[in-house]
Amino acid sequence: MAKIIVLLKQVPDLVEDLEVDASGKALDRSDIKFKLNEFDDHALEEAILLKESGSADEVVAMAVDGDDVDKMLFTALAKGADRAVKLTGGNPVDSHQMGKAFSNALGSEGYDLVFTGVQSVDDRDGQLGPIVASYMNKPCVSVVSGVFVSGGTAVVHKEYSAGIMGEFEVDLPAVLGIQAAKQSPRYAPVSKIRQVQRTASLGESGMGDLGPGGGSSVANMAPPEKGAGAEMLDNVEDLMDVLKDKGAL
Amino acid sequence: MGDVFVITEHLKGEFQDITFEMLGKAKEMATASDGQCVAVAFGSMNEKAGELGAADSVISIGGNDDYNPESYAAAVQSLVSAKSPSLILVGSTSMGMDIANTVATALDMPNISYCSDISAGSGGFSYTSSMYGGKMNTVTNVDSPAVAMVLAGAFNADAGRMTGSPTVEDFSADFGAGKVRFKRLIEPEDADVDITQSDILVAVGRGIGSKDDIELAEELAEVLDADLACSRPLVDAGWMPKARQVGKSGLKVKPKVYIALGISGAPEHIEGMKSSSTIIAINTDKNAPIFDVAHYGMTKDLFDVVEELVEELE
Amino acid sequence: MLSPNERIVFILLVVVCGILSFQGFNRIFKTVKAGGNADRSDNLIGRFSTALVDVLLQKPISRARPIVGLFHSFIFYAFSFYLLVNVNDVLEAYVDGWTTLGSDNILANLFNLFADIFSVLVLVGMVFFLYRRFVQKPKVMEFNANVKLHPGVSAGGLKKDSFIVGIFILVHVGSRWLGTAIHLANNGNTDKWLPTASIMSGLFSDWSPAALETGIHVTWWLAIGLIVLFIPYFPRTKHIHLMVAPVNLTLGRKTHRGAMDGVSNPASPGARTLSDLPWPQVLDSWACIMCTRCHEVCPAHESGTSLSPSAMEINKRYFINEQGNALFNGGGNASLLDYAISDDAVWSCTTCYACVQVCPVGNEPMMDILELRRNQVFDAKMPDELADVLRSLDEQGNSFNESARRRSRWSRTLDFKLKDATKEPVKYLWYVGDFASFNQICQDTTRKVAEVLMVAGVDFGIMGKKEKSAGNDVRRVGEEGLFEVLAEQNIESIESCEFEEIFTTDPHTFNTLRNEYPEKGGNFPVKHYSTLLLELIKNGDIKLNKKLDIKATYHDPCYLGRYNGIYDDPREVMKLCGVDLVEMPRNKENSFCCGAGGGQIWLPDHDDMVQRPSENRIEEAVSVGVNHFTVACPKDMTMYSDAAKTSGNEDNMAVNDIVDFVLEAMDLPERTMDKTVSSDAEEAVSPETLTEELNS
Repeated sequence: MAKIIVLLKQVPDLVEDLEVDASGKALDRSDIKFKLNEFDDHALEEAILLKESGSADEVVAMAVDGDDVDKMLFTALAKGADRAVKLTGGNPVDSHQMGKAFSNALGSEGYDLVFTGVQSVDDRDGQLGPIVASYMNKPCVSVVSGVFVSGGTAVVHKEYSAGIMGEFEVDLPAVLGIQAAKQSPRYAPVSKIRQVQRTASLGESGMGDLGPGGGSSVANMAPPEKGAGAEMLDNVEDLMDVLKDKGAL
Repeated sequence: MGDVFVITEHLKGEFQDITFEMLGKAKEMATASDGQCVAVAFGSMNEKAGELGAADSVISIGGNDDYNPESYAAAVQSLVSAKSPSLILVGSTSMGMDIANTVATALDMPNISYCSDISAGSGGFSYTSSMYGGKMNTVTNVDSPAVAMVLAGAFNADAGRMTGSPTVEDFSADFGAGKVRFKRLIEPEDADVDITQSDILVAVGRGIGSKDDIELAEELAEVLDADLACSRPLVDAGWMPKARQVGKSGLKVKPKVYIALGISGAPEHIEGMKSSSTIIAINTDKNAPIFDVAHYGMTKDLFDVVEELVEELE
Repeated sequence: MLSPNERIVFILLVVVCGILSFQGFNRIFKTVKAGGNADRSDNLIGRFSTALVDVLLQKPISRARPIVGLFHSFIFYAFSFYLLVNVNDVLEAYVDGWTTLGSDNILANLFNLFADIFSVLVLVGMVFFLYRRFVQKPKVMEFNANVKLHPGVSAGGLKKDSFIVGIFILVHVGSRWLGTAIHLANNGNTDKWLPTASIMSGLFSDWSPAALETGIHVTWWLAIGLIVLFIPYFPRTKHIHLMVAPVNLTLGRKTHRGAMDGVSNPASPGARTLSDLPWPQVLDSWACIMCTRCHEVCPAHESGTSLSPSAMEINKRYFINEQGNALFNGGGNASLLDYAISDDAVWSCTTCYACVQVCPVGNEPMMDILELRRNQVFDAKMPDELADVLRSLDEQGNSFNESARRRSRWSRTLDFKLKDATKEPVKYLWYVGDFASFNQICQDTTRKVAEVLMVAGVDFGIMGKKEKSAGNDVRRVGEEGLFEVLAEQNIESIESCEFEEIFTTDPHTFNTLRNEYPEKGGNFPVKHYSTLLLELIKNGDIKLNKKLDIKATYHDPCYLGRYNGIYDDPREVMKLCGVDLVEMPRNKENSFCCGAGGGQIWLPDHDDMVQRPSENRIEEAVSVGVNHFTVACPKDMTMYSDAAKTSGNEDNMAVNDIVDFVLEAMDLPERTMDKTVSSDAEEAVSPETLTEELNS
């Protein structure tokens, strides 16, 4: 039976219109909201599914401190994680520093598997899963959409293109970058989250030395050039003209 | 400055398009930096070095023909350690992700993800990355050796598709501890329709709302004599079979007409359909990235438009 | 009159049946007591007297099926009187010489007259009811094929029960009536105070005295003995409603119907089993007369889905009978979803309140469904589409998965700026609501409301991105926690504004702001915009310069009408505009739900749906000969605009909001609206487009 640690992080919610701040190098934080990285949600879901099917006996959610991180961790508990740990004492600026924070904490925590989302919308300097695996010198497979655990190994399905997948056997302990859980991430009722907030507590751990980071920084951030963009049509008649013209009718 | 390495990608004995896309760009960058363009081939792909004519030389790194995240990454790591190229291009793909991150982190080199453009500067290279679901581009300048993950379709494959006889050099690589073992390839179930062969595709995305509403898109597909396709979220939700998925981990399609209904245009999806001759997108969000790649667009409610269109065509 | 042996036998019978009855009633008491907490102890005298009057005047049952109600009243009044009759008959049996026949006492004669007439009324009524159930077999008494039924019900339990009781009443009353006739024959005369018995006495005129004497005893035993025998049977049958219904009505809910009960145990909210339900809802199982009035008015059942509130209450009752004492001895832990109602049916409810409104015995089937939803949602068991919508409400504050910053985009095409109530004081704070803000069809109406108010010189403002969904339907799909979060955030936003009153264009919003927010700490004066429009018309701020010459019908929204009793304001507004109002048969508190409430507007149509409730309603409007269907709710606007098309009535039924009439009647001079170049601008509103609409 495996112990799975799931690394969670918050990313900007893309529902909002994004704007660049005064420096021209980063997002304007004034009007953006954050939410759990959707792939991390899949990672958590896959871990909980493994626990529900009897392959794992403990699921620990871990995240670096920040706004709304408490709620994110309580939500993980409400979904079925056994424990939640918040890493404090620093402010990682990129995937590498975040990876360092996690690997520092993971060292003392002990685990059979580490799951995290395959990528996130802001991981310009690299993807968290393989970075953490590299720091901890553990095997890693990313873009996984199916994990089966037995004994000291995991069998995983890695997605290639055109629907083809590669099946691999991985010796534990290992790190997996999760693309998709076996089912959509479950809903966590706010009623339950609030109940969990009343009764459970979050563990805390120091994040330690974050290291120098990825070694590169953004010189400039801007929305992509629109170029000509699409020619906008006003009504269905115009649309039909286009379809006729392009040979679809 | 120095050499530009291209980590080739292959599946079932064939080099993937991304390999040629990277080669074209690598050749350009190598010229600009007075270095060589070197392609790295795994396993018996060295026998197809003739296809890699755009490169000045090919390194045959050995190893299994079947991709393995651990052994391929370890091999590339030992190669880069020995050869110290200035720039290593890896596909921003499933196979590329393991290699790029492992190599860069282990060798303490910067890794720049989601590259849609690379240009040579005075002391190094400048990388443009497509971030935040395609809503923002970042420019990163790095003067030291770096790994760059190249987005599929960012560069033209034709520029890199050249036959020739590059010199082939063997390299004895370290293949890692053997903790990850390849078992087999899993092919998708037989699809009833091969959407890569379709002339007209009606593709539905999250904007369709619910499984039942896909019926409306089906009606449209029927009157247009088109096939139905979709973006990934609908496959994950179980509403459409995987064989209809267009995108990075699905299928790459190039129909005459691609009608995108309620698809926002996440980069992973665009990758799969940007080569379509005519792209028509219907999405109520005028800022949706799909409108950057579409030829025609409407910001009306897709249900109204489709209903009316079906009525008119019937 | 009875022989000594008979007297002894009767006493024994009473004792035995008494003990059996006690067990039956005791079981009811204990089972109800094992239910969840509820406080109905306030103003017991007032409650009792109101219930008494209601029952005596037969008010609850007259809400539907008037002819049936008439026959029921025969039986009710007769049986009430029969208490005296039974007492009299027992006295006759035990007190030598006691009789009311041939007396000079006016009371005795009146007693005889009532007894005589009521006997016949009961017999006529029973024949009607037996005919109705066994010969006429009206469709409303059938359940949709997909409704979950307890095996006892499927096996014909309802018919069996009705048959037994029907026969019992016919025999009990019939015997008593014939017995009186035999008494008269025995006395050798007729009695003008016993008209029908006198006629019947002719049948026995040639019977021997011995035969007559036997007849008297036999009819006495059949009448009185049978009723004693029947009393232990009552707790097992729906006919215990005689005793339970008045209790149920006395102890009925007196809190506002638009305010859901709070969650009693946050660690395990809602109900999974029968005893998880608050005790009045357990008592409902015994009060239920299995009449199917509730599913007759239920939009979910009418449209073909698997929800029948009637079946749910009946299934509960059959389960209770089957479980017996196990229910309060640690057993009876089966989930309600196993025997009473299917999961699918739970998610088909629109929370329209019609079932509660129409129930003659004060049952609240809808409340059971709401408790079941709370329990299911706590374990994240709900339709997938609902989970997506709840996520959207949690993350974005609206059900459209749109950025909150776009909430007031509808106002961009107005040629005047709206006040931001979060930045400056306003007289009226307009709580716009999700649908009125984001739905493209509703946005037209929202803009018209803005225009009318602007022209009328009303000082109003909106909260824009600070306004989130008020949460009425979130609460009604069972996500109490999310409702609390939304309420807390909205109350904070509202309190940061300076205003005199809130008005809203959405009845769902109106309901929760007015009835549920106070308990969460937000006590604000709220009115529906129809009330505001009426005020403004009456005080002259809105000048109506033209009388519209159209016939229209008005649809009462559930959350404005049935829930909050506002029926007249929108009608008056229409009439002041010169509209000739034609009522549909199902109007005011009998309005038929559009099918959007209870989260249904977020869910796909049920697979079994044969006709949408909204299409059914449009057809009702067509049948009263109008071409204009008037609404006062954005969800109604959405549902009925769609239904007019899908029911094939697009060309003959225009769907209008009441504000359309107001704007047209104001007959404003032509005003150019600012058409923005932005590609998602909605078509600007002008009186011309309105006239086009109205004349279509």
